[in-house]
Amino acid sequence: MPKRGNTERECEDSGRVRDTGGTVLAAVADGASESLLSGEWADLLTASLLDAAPDVLDDADRFAAALVDAGRSWRAWLDDYVAGREAAGRPIAWYEQPKLDRGPHATVLAARFASGRWDAAALGDSCLFHVRDDRLECAFPLVEPGQFDNSPPLVNAFTRDTALLARHVRTASGRIEPGDEFFLCTDAIAEWFLREAGAGRRPWRVLRGFAADHDGFAAWLDAVREEGLMRNDDVTVVHLDPG
Amino acid sequence: MTYSAEISRANPSCFVFLVDQSASMDDPIGGGARQRKAEVVADAINRLLAELSVKCAKEEGVRDYFHVAVLGYGHTVGSAFTGPLAGRDLVPLSQVADQPARVEKRVKKVPDGAGGLVETTTSFPVWVDPVANGATPMCRALARAESLVSDWVARHPDCFPPIVLNLTDGESTDGDPASAAWAVQTHVTADGAALLFNLHVSATNTAPVTFPDTDVALPDPYARTLFGMSSLLPQHMRFYALQQGVAAGELARGFVYNADITSVVQFLDIGTRATELR
Repeated sequence: MPKRGNTERECEDSGRVRDTGGTVLAAVADGASESLLSGEWADLLTASLLDAAPDVLDDADRFAAALVDAGRSWRAWLDDYVAGREAAGRPIAWYEQPKLDRGPHATVLAARFASGRWDAAALGDSCLFHVRDDRLECAFPLVEPGQFDNSPPLVNAFTRDTALLARHVRTASGRIEPGDEFFLCTDAIAEWFLREAGAGRRPWRVLRGFAADHDGFAAWLDAVREEGLMRNDDVTVVHLDPG
Repeated sequence: MTYSAEISRANPSCFVFLVDQSASMDDPIGGGARQRKAEVVADAINRLLAELSVKCAKEEGVRDYFHVAVLGYGHTVGSAFTGPLAGRDLVPLSQVADQPARVEKRVKKVPDGAGGLVETTTSFPVWVDPVANGATPMCRALARAESLVSDWVARHPDCFPPIVLNLTDGESTDGDPASAAWAVQTHVTADGAALLFNLHVSATNTAPVTFPDTDVALPDPYARTLFGMSSLLPQHMRFYALQQGVAAGELARGFVYNADITSVVQFLDIGTRATELR
């Protein structure tokens, strides 16, 4: 869902889920507002991670290498984009060029659910929440609402320094018990989730209630933003119920 | 909490730049540089407008997070835009970005990745040309800025407070500007009072000063007057100044003496910052 005042096309979040015969892969990414084409970069990141080798979530080094691979795809994507703009008679403007030269930025989180186990890797402040027996079993990588700010670690499409990325990647894993639920959230709703959980409430019940009710979720978001309970930002939630 | 309002197209803020265009701006700046003060402030304004446009640029164009006026004061007080925007006061930022008077090519040296420097050409849009003519009616200029700020605040009562940025050599000729400066800062939105910052360009050969919290190191009465007129840096701006290596204390003011002030644009929050990993 885009931030209030923006169109759907202007939403710079991406979320993807893929079920490949017993293994479920999920990824969310959040493009930085100050970057150009950061929504497209977030989208390429989630697609690239779901297409990557299954062992990409095994450790920080492999995850960082997968982020660099996604960045290599970006260069070709960008060349096509620039050519398309020129063909459409709308060449890159002087004010766009510095940001194109710097490359787009995004946070990213990916998780794998298979054989009674989950593994996740993250760079930035998109979060995974593991809920068991109606309580928050695990929050990853941030655990408190006070940890969010407007300068999270970000992956730049032009970064080729795998070691640098790996230093900022966080990983986590755990067992999946019957009835467990998982929520992958971009930062604004993740911050709300942690604040609610910290106050003894059960935000997972709220989110679970929407299921595929897109309009209901949109109306609820409007209300919590209006009340000042959630920052006005793009919102993505992936809810998984492995059973 | 003040100075935390979201800056968006639905809730934009405004910038009023005041540019001293008096005859004294024909003198060279201090520190051994050959540039005239008028050239220094014109370059500063053009860089500020370019940085602001880039900051707010997205794929579909520049978003109108700000409306911008550039007022010159010297022979007269009025719009300092040249080119298609000549004569206009507050202009949506998208129109500013799309309508510079011209876009020059400038050569600059950038790191070559191997420890050396290499020359590269960059675009330098120009909206304001150097002018040095007449007296320094700073009080009238501040009053004109106050009028724009007052009108803006009435129409946008919840916005991030307007910012007035005055670029001058400090020698007001129509009275003590302190009360006119104070009047600007009496206009308040739900998010705080309008901010007045000053860039002082001087022929005096004194060390540059950036966001000081005292006037003791300032070399002359003009600098001390401008310091006294300047708003305290809001907390989050002070935080970003510190991040950029500027030792901005608790009482740091939006005042810069013979130094770069374009960093002010980076103090503005329009969402997640695109910062590189370190």
